[in-house]
Amino acid sequence: MSLFTFSAVTYRYPNQTQRPALHDFNLAIPGGEKIAVVGRNGSGKSTFFLHLNGLIKPRQGEVRFQGRPLDYSRKGLTALRQQVALVFQNPDDQLFSASVFQDISFGPLNLGMSDAEARERVLEAAALCDIEHLLEQPTHALSGGEKARVALAGVLAMHPDILAADELLASLDPWGRLKIREIFDVYHAQGKTILLITHDLGLIKHWATWVIVVHEGKAAFSGRADDLLGDEAIMNETGLVQIWRQAMQSC
Amino acid sequence: MHLIDQYAYSNALRRLHPGIKAGLALTIILLCLTLNEPAVGMVAALWMLGLAVGLARIPFRTFAGILLAEGTFLLLATIAVILSFSLHPSVLVGGWGIGVGPIWVSTSPASLYMGANLILRALGAASAMNFLSLTTPLVDLIDLLHRLHMPAIIIDLMTLMYRFIFVLLESLERMVRAQDSRLGFSGSYRRRMENTAWLATHLFIEAFLRSRNLQQALASRGYDGGDLRVLPIEYETDRRLLVLGLVGILSLVAVWWLV
Repeated sequence: MSLFTFSAVTYRYPNQTQRPALHDFNLAIPGGEKIAVVGRNGSGKSTFFLHLNGLIKPRQGEVRFQGRPLDYSRKGLTALRQQVALVFQNPDDQLFSASVFQDISFGPLNLGMSDAEARERVLEAAALCDIEHLLEQPTHALSGGEKARVALAGVLAMHPDILAADELLASLDPWGRLKIREIFDVYHAQGKTILLITHDLGLIKHWATWVIVVHEGKAAFSGRADDLLGDEAIMNETGLVQIWRQAMQSC
Repeated sequence: MHLIDQYAYSNALRRLHPGIKAGLALTIILLCLTLNEPAVGMVAALWMLGLAVGLARIPFRTFAGILLAEGTFLLLATIAVILSFSLHPSVLVGGWGIGVGPIWVSTSPASLYMGANLILRALGAASAMNFLSLTTPLVDLIDLLHRLHMPAIIIDLMTLMYRFIFVLLESLERMVRAQDSRLGFSGSYRRRMENTAWLATHLFIEAFLRSRNLQQALASRGYDGGDLRVLPIEYETDRRLLVLGLVGILSLVAVWWLV
């Protein structure tokens, strides 16, 4: 059974005059994979991600999680957000507290944990993300890479089964990227599912076990990386063929 | 602001309970306001300087520099108390006066005492506030207010506003650099004003978009509109500050009593 199923989902933002952000979007997402989500800017990747966490509701169509339609009641969303965590593209959008320690504790406390349990979760997530030395630092004094790791720790402290990160690696230096990928690998080894929006096609080849291509508001491809690279029609239609050739030439 | 914030997070009293630091500072401020003697203000400023430099390891030049800036401002503000201005030559008993063109400027020992009293007591109170702001990050003060059962809505607003100051400052710096690199501020006065207006507009839009993104990010971590619950911070206690603070408070009362 698929983890998530999108059936004919359409979503249009208020005052959006062009085509909807998602239009007749059909997709089945398998569990336990390292999934790379690729596509051009404005193709609908981030809108697709916001649906995973119930942050936006389809105007048409249906999203199912573990076989059941998403429950958009307060109780249903709390249950969903316990299992599905989002890391946003810009960590500054996510870090609301000036204290790193307090910011990470926010998610576990929202899950109804006691202070002692939440403290344990904060320390555990900080150790996983290698930010124990930053716990007493103010968030505004952190570098971009540190902020990204703190934002990641803030959601990992909630122990989600599915982690969806929106271009988390885009603004990081190679060392920062490597560190985040190591954290992803540790997390994936625990049987969790990771979805990562990326423009780095190298990740498709060397990191992802599954690839989703979003093109003009639709899921143009969902499958193994080798299948994508061998599918000339999809590679041409989505424009990935030029990018892939360029990536190969620069290697 | 960055300088104060930097010391607040890096001083030697950073881990100390904010209640102790805030309690000491507020007591000193209250004493400076209620004990009507200039010597009280002077002793308070010296105590606060000593505690900030000796215990918190704030550089002398930093603390004294901030105090000097505040002193200059106070001096300018009390000119009207110290000096009298008149079109007719008139000097109070025992006072002095000088004619500057058509204006007669005069003062008296009583005016000088009143001015010195105001400046020194205000400086004493300001030094206590400086001690608090240089040794205690705002996060700790917000945490203290939370422990004192301040309404959650105020705590949440303070938390978000403090965080957003830095986020928007970063955005502002980025926008200013982007404009400056394209000669945005080197044209005519009218052009500079237009660019400044553009900057203000875009900063407002950025603040609006960021607040929307933040709301989504909070919701994704299980926030459903109640209080922004976070763990309380753990602090340490330092008997040295308690003892020295108490001695300082007693010395102010003693100075007031003796003078």
